[in-house]
Order: sequence, then C-alpha cells, then structure tokens
Amino acid sequence: MAGSPSRDNAAHSARAPWLTLKTREMLEAWLFVSPTFIGFLIFFLGPLVAIFYYSTTEWNLLSQQATFVGLRNFENALLENPDFWHVVRNSVIFALGLVPLNMALALSLALALSRPFFGVVFFRTVFFAPVVTSAIAWAIVWKFMLQGQGGAVNQMLAWIGIDGPNWLREPNWAMAAVIVTRVIKMVGLNMILYIAALQSIPRDYEEAATLEGASRWQVFRMITWPLLAPTTLVIMVLTTIGSFKVFDHIYQMTGGGPENGTLVLAFYIYQQGFKFFNVGYAAALALIMFAIVMVLTLAQVMLRRRDME
Amino acid sequence: MTARRTEIVYRICWTIALLLLAVPFIFPFLWMISGGFKSTTEIFGAPTLIPRVWRFENFVEVFTYQPFARQYFNSLYIAATVTVLTLFIASLAGYALARIRFAGAGLLMLFLVMALMVPEEVTIIPNFFLIRAMGLIDTHWPLILLPVFGPQGVVATFLMRQFFLALPKELEDAGKMDGLSRFGVWLKIALPMSRPALAAVAIITFLHSWNLFLEPLIFLSSLEKFTLPLALSNFNDSYGLPLWNLQLAATSLAVVPILIIYLIAQRQIIESFALSGVKG
Amino acid sequence: MKTAMKLALSALALCALPVQSPAQELRMTVWTGNDAHLKMLNGIAAGFIAKHPGVTVKFETVPVADYTQKLTFQVAGGNAPDIAWMMEDAAPAFENAGLLMDIGPTLKATEGYSFEDFSEPAMALWQKDGKIYGVPFSTSPFLIYYNKDMFDKAGLEDPNQLAAKGEWNMQKFQDVAKKVTEANPGKWGFEFKDGEGYASRMTHALLPPVRAYGGDLWANGQCGLDKPEAVAAIKQLHDMVFKDKSIVPPGEQGDYFSGNSAMTVNQISRASKMPEAGFKWGIAPLPSGPAGEAPVIGQAALTVFASGKNTELAAQLVAEMTSKDNVAVMAQFFPPARKSVLESDAFVNSNKLIPPEQMKSVAAAIVNGRVHPSHEHVPQIFAAMAPRVDALWRADADVEEALKGVCAAIQPLL
Repeated sequence: MAGSPSRDNAAHSARAPWLTLKTREMLEAWLFVSPTFIGFLIFFLGPLVAIFYYSTTEWNLLSQQATFVGLRNFENALLENPDFWHVVRNSVIFALGLVPLNMALALSLALALSRPFFGVVFFRTVFFAPVVTSAIAWAIVWKFMLQGQGGAVNQMLAWIGIDGPNWLREPNWAMAAVIVTRVIKMVGLNMILYIAALQSIPRDYEEAATLEGASRWQVFRMITWPLLAPTTLVIMVLTTIGSFKVFDHIYQMTGGGPENGTLVLAFYIYQQGFKFFNVGYAAALALIMFAIVMVLTLAQVMLRRRDME
Repeated sequence: MTARRTEIVYRICWTIALLLLAVPFIFPFLWMISGGFKSTTEIFGAPTLIPRVWRFENFVEVFTYQPFARQYFNSLYIAATVTVLTLFIASLAGYALARIRFAGAGLLMLFLVMALMVPEEVTIIPNFFLIRAMGLIDTHWPLILLPVFGPQGVVATFLMRQFFLALPKELEDAGKMDGLSRFGVWLKIALPMSRPALAAVAIITFLHSWNLFLEPLIFLSSLEKFTLPLALSNFNDSYGLPLWNLQLAATSLAVVPILIIYLIAQRQIIESFALSGVKG
Repeated sequence: MKTAMKLALSALALCALPVQSPAQELRMTVWTGNDAHLKMLNGIAAGFIAKHPGVTVKFETVPVADYTQKLTFQVAGGNAPDIAWMMEDAAPAFENAGLLMDIGPTLKATEGYSFEDFSEPAMALWQKDGKIYGVPFSTSPFLIYYNKDMFDKAGLEDPNQLAAKGEWNMQKFQDVAKKVTEANPGKWGFEFKDGEGYASRMTHALLPPVRAYGGDLWANGQCGLDKPEAVAAIKQLHDMVFKDKSIVPPGEQGDYFSGNSAMTVNQISRASKMPEAGFKWGIAPLPSGPAGEAPVIGQAALTVFASGKNTELAAQLVAEMTSKDNVAVMAQFFPPARKSVLESDAFVNSNKLIPPEQMKSVAAAIVNGRVHPSHEHVPQIFAAMAPRVDALWRADADVEEALKGVCAAIQPLL
C-alpha cells in the first residue's frame, strides 16, 4: 500500500490529488473523530475551563450579575461554612460504607456464580436486575418500604421479633438505609465484572493447588485473589467515583435529610446551584469535587502499583 | 464418597443462602406492582403482598394526573435518538482511533479518559449556561446533546475502539484494494462486522438515557416535556401530596416493560454491561 | 467521506436551532394540573380572547413541588412566561431582582376595575413605593378540616360546634385530638397540612399555633421561634405528637383524606377532594390561642414578567382575570381579595361542597388573616431550618434548645 500512492490516487483522483497519503490519512482520521472531538470541546472541556472562572465569582441566577470575588467561595466552603465539612464527612461515610460492602458482596456472589450449576442463570439474572432499573424507581419503592410503621421492611423485621427503627427519619439509620439500598441496586454490575474475570482464570492453577492439598481458602488467598487484582482495581476506582456521584438516589429517598444526615457532595452542589442559585459557590464546590475524585483515582492506582511491585 | 456428600451439602447451603440473599433484589419489584393495585386506604393500612381489593383504576388515573403517555413517549424517543447518534459518532471515532495512526491521537485519548472520570455534576453548572445561551432551556436538546457528547458517549467510543482493534484487518484491506474510500470501508465492511459491539453500545446507551435524571431535572420545567424518571418523582397530586398508589402504578408501568425485555435478553444485556465495565 | 461530514454537520446544525413560539401567544404558568381548575381558567381566558382576536392564552402546569425553582429556571433561561402565578414566599426574590412589571397603570386604566376594592392587608405584599407588582388571585385561609364520623364515634362535639360556643381553642384542640385518637384505634386525631408537616410544609405546621400564641416565625428581621410564645406553642404540638400520640408522627402516613386522621389543616381548594372521601366532614376556623384568633392565609398573585414580549397585553389579561366578575367565578377554588365579592352572598354560596355558614368563617378569616412571613432568601432560610426542625421532631428533643438552634441557623439570613 505504502509504495503505491499512484494507484491509491487513481482510486480517489476526484478528491485530493495534491495531498500525500500521510496527510490525507490524518485528515480522514480527524474528520472521523471530529463530531466526538467538537462535542468534547463544547460540552466538556469548555465547561471545565469555565468552572474555574465561575468559582471566582459571586453570581445569582436570578439577578444574572457576576461579581469577581477571588477565592472568597473557597474560603467560604473550606473555612467558614460548617455545612461543607458536614457534607464532606457524609460523602466519606457514604463511600466508606458503600465501596467495601459493594465489593465484598460482588466478589462473594461472583465466586458463588462463576461456575455452572443448577439455577445459576436465575441467580445472575436476579442479582443484576436492579442495575437495569431506574435509580428513581428503585428509590421510590424502597422509600415506600422503609416507612417507620406499616413499611414492608419493618413488618418483616417484626416477624422475627425486631422492632425496626423509623429508617428515613433518623440520620444514622437513614445513611445506613441509603447505602444498603444503593449497594443492592449496583452490586450486580461489579458481580458480572468479577465473574468475567474469574472465568478468564485458567482452571489448571486451582486444580493443581487443590491436588497439592490446599484448602479452598488457601486457593482463593494464594491464587484467585492475586489474579483478580487488576479487576479489583478497576472496580474499586469505578465504585468509588460512583459513590461520590450519587445524586438521584439521595434526591428521591431522603432529599439530603433528616438533619442533613444524608446530604452528600453531589446533592449539595445541586442544592446550592439549582435550588438557591448560588452559582459561584456551587462552581467552587464542583471544583473541589473534581479534585477529590482525581486525587482518589490517582491514589488508588498508585497504591495498587506499589502493592504489585 | 464423603467428599462427594460434603460437596452436595455445600451446594445446598449455598443455594439456600443465595435464595435468602435474593429477597431484597426481587421483593421491591413485587411490592411495587402490588402497591400499584392498592387503594389509598389500603396503602396506609397494614401491608399485605396481595391487595385485598384490586384497584385497576390506578393505572387509568396515572394517565389523567399527568400527561403520562406523552412523558412515556418523550423518554422513548429521546433514548432512541441518543442511541442512534451515539452509535454513529462513537463508531466513527472509535474506528479512527483503532485503525489510523495520526498526530494527536494520544492526546485525544488522554482527554477522553479524563472525560470518563469527571462526574457530570462537575460540568453541569457551566453546561446550564451554555444551553441557556443556545436558547434550549426547557427543550429536549440538552438531554440528547449532553449524553451523546458526555461521559456516556466516551464509554461508547472506547467500546467501539476496543472492538475494532480486535477485528482482523484483512477484509478492510481487500475493500481498499477494491477502491472503497475510508468511509466506505467503515460503512460497508467494518460496521457490518461489529454488530455485537453496536448492540452492546446500543443497550447501555439506551438504558442510560432512559434512566437519566439530573439533566431532565435541571433543564425541563413543563409537565408535558418531562421524561419518565422526572415524572415518577413528581407523582404528587396537584396540591403536592404524595400519591403512593399512583406513583407505584406509574413506576410499575415504567419498570416492568424494561424488566420483561431484560428477562428475554438477559444474557446479551449482562454481557453488554460486562464489556462497558472492562473497557480499559 | 462527504456523506459523513454532511451528516455530522447537519446534526450539529440541528442542535443550534432555537425553538420559537408564535407571537401573540400569552403563556401563563400555574401550579395546578387539576382539570376543574384548568377548565375554569380556560373559560376566563376565552372571554379575553373574544375581546382580543388573534391572541391565544396557554396555561402551563409546573408541578407544585418545585414550582418556584422551575419558574426561576424558565426566567434565567430567557424563557420567562408572560404571566406567572406567584407564590407568596417567592415574591420578594423576583421583585428585588427587578423582574416583575409594574402593572398599576394598566389596572387603573381598565374601565370598571375599581382597584380600591382589594382588601388592604391582602395587597401588602404586592405593593412597593406606589408600584403594583401583582394582583392577589388566591387569598386562601388555613382551615381545620374534620372527619365528622370519627368525632361522632368518640361522642365528641365537632370543631364547628365548639367554635359556635366559643370554646374552640388550642387547649380544647389538644383535648379532642387525644380523645378522638383513643376512640379510633389505629388512627390519629390530627394530621399536619398535606401530611408534609415534617418536610416541605414544616412552617405550615408550626405557624398556626405559634400565631395563636401571639408569636411568629420571624418578623422585622428577627427570628421569632425562640421567643416564649413560640416555644410554648411548639411544646404543645410536641406533646401532642409524642406524649398524647394524637398527631401523625414523623415518617408515618395518616392521610386525612382517606379517613385515617380526624382533623387536618388545609385550604379551601382541597374541598374538591372531599366528595370521594366517603365520610361526613366539615370545615372550621383554626383554634384560637392565648393571643385570640389568629387566622393564617396562604396567598398567590398574578404577576407579569418585564422581559416578556407582550407585557402590555399580559397586564390586560391580569386585569381581566381579576375583574369583579371573574374573581367571583374563581371564588369556588381560590378565595378572593376583593371586599365586594367577599361580602356578597354569591361568595358564601359559591362552593357547592361547603355550607354557607361554614363559608362565612372562610370570609372572616380572609379579612382578618395574615399571610405567611416572606423573605427574599426563603429557599435558603428553609434549607437552613430543615435539618434543625428535624432535630426538633424527635421524641426526646428539648424543644426550647432545638428552637434556639433553628434561630441560630436562620438569623444570619434574615
């Protein structure tokens, strides 16, 4: 191909005879990626740059006047407004509760469901079903089931003699409820990622180890777990970012309450920007969120890399 | 023999444990459907799974309380549009990134990875002003543009690229010999071979759009322009009272068709998500 | 290649097309999606269209839960309606931002409009420096709705009978709520407005008793909730919820309209829900307190956005909708602020569901009532209040301390 520009040109003679093959390839490539690239510039990179500017202004959506205030919004968030640290604390608790629970459950399910047995398809289908369901629908139903009295959950707890709390009205229970229902909603996704990874591990390794008398636990600890490490990293990064993004679930189930007990960062940004119209402050919060997500991602990747060395 | 028996006992224990664990995954769907058939009085009374009185009118009233049919249609056509546009744009870009070595490709990939990591909540504020400047507030345009060009579109691009990388090149080279342009090769040879990838992208893109919430919440204000998730969360009567039974009936109407499709095509759907998760 | 480009470009070009609405169409946002309400509004608009050929009027329903937020988005998005139904708590923010048009000149130039007919207190919120930013459209007092059957079962006099004897006060209210709860196991004596007293209507739950005790949520830039009157009133409510267990507690459903609570507080427009309720019912004034009777009013007005294309026409439509005749028509759902209509027999007989003598207490409450306090920063104030009010509604809460916390949180915003 490379040696026959003339023939290639003959095929496209009407088009661009003056271009060399290389230039034309490049042009073609950029034309192919241009919709993605232009959209990316307009709807992602532009806004990302703009948010740096927004965060230095005081801007009320209604009066539409932006005043430059320097780092005032950041000072307000980091130093003055007690809500901010409360929100960060909530977000961290949410992540610390959700990520380990989600991953442990996902891995256990995957270990149980990665080999064929009677009913395996049924179980996989069941555990994955909430993933395809809208988060809003999921939250509506759980909110309904978690009512203090007459809620289905407390009704079931009563059968086994437990007097269930008023789930969504007590800050700590509400946080627990939000975490657990979110895990049930999303665990299927991580489960199938683990199943895919488990199925790609050659069976010989484990069989060899078993023949040598290793227990199930030893096989898992010494062989399976290390081989799963790359998958675990991907899942950990995605789940952590996902936990900081959670919005619709909180919006529908608790609205950030009670007593701001489930007010997490994504919801706080929405509240400040689109409920109170403090555009500048919300932009500063969004930048902080951006930084947190970036640092977390990098930290996890680096930690993992050190571990493997 | 004893090992065999332990194995069987072990299996049975696992199955029972899994069945118990499955309860919180299945029960909400059953409870949703049952609640949708209950009367207001019953919904506040002692709960039972089977409604004492089946109130089918709920499913009629859903359509009179809100323009629910219209909202349903909105969600359908928006999700379909987003899916078609994403398939087109992502497969174009994915093909170029997989097949052509060109200056700037590395940088572009880096940018796209970044777009993947940044939550929508971060860019939503400037995007609101951008959409406003375009005069597109309270239209369906932002619900199409932002997902197509946002993180979801990037996921699709990576998926397509990954797939094209794994495709054998020979057929395409043959096509080129026969005088097909680059675009022709993409359209006539590469695309037809990538049906599995296109299906996977279509499934995850459609569901993502179907379940989208933050963008409709911010950009839409007229009832007849609402999409399903927004309509569901708004199931209050005209005075703002929550209407549990109607809300659950509407939620059933929104969720059950998707669940049925999922049950029919569960293998394909689960695989699509597995692909999107390990995209690289 | 070319095809690809064309496709991509046309896709992008499509995106840039703005959506335009035809001229001479007046858009009005309303919170109600109720058929009866919309039918009535369209009927009134038809009269206006008859006089102004070529004009169309479109009522757009924006859900009540996020009404003000969505309205703000429309305005900020450059897509403001011509006319908006404006809730009292949102008015100052829009007014101070200079978004509302002074419709005084149009109203006064309208023949036979007689602006002076509007009751003075009802206009207070909508007038500033001689300019008029809105015309009250619904001046709706808070009332007690009661379930007559449940009172009969408990062998108690109903709130109306008590009011007639002059005994309908906060003490009696607590008393009957407790007795009626005991006589109707599994049900409650009282439900806060719309069952949302611990959430979106938290101030509507607190305001009537606080006013009856002579306090207020806030006034003149001062938080009033930690004052002795307010503390006493809310302590009483707290006792009713957690000691008497006669008020539907947080997180529970005790829907009045499905017969699960003997009383609730609501406005007259909710009477349209009653025919399907299936029990005997009535409405009565709010119980009086140490400070005497203190009716509370919820208000909404019609406002014209200054940024609209047809502001003058819009102002004329407002004048038409609030003319004497039309106010009388609307009185069945949205009580009037026009004195002439309030005093007329037509008003007392306007609502087929409510007997005339009960409608008289509605009229009295409109004349004497005061609106919910408003403020430019209401959304922020409510957001600051919400978590602290949540803390108040715990069984073991120290009411006085909790209210101090509420005030500490909102004082900087006032």
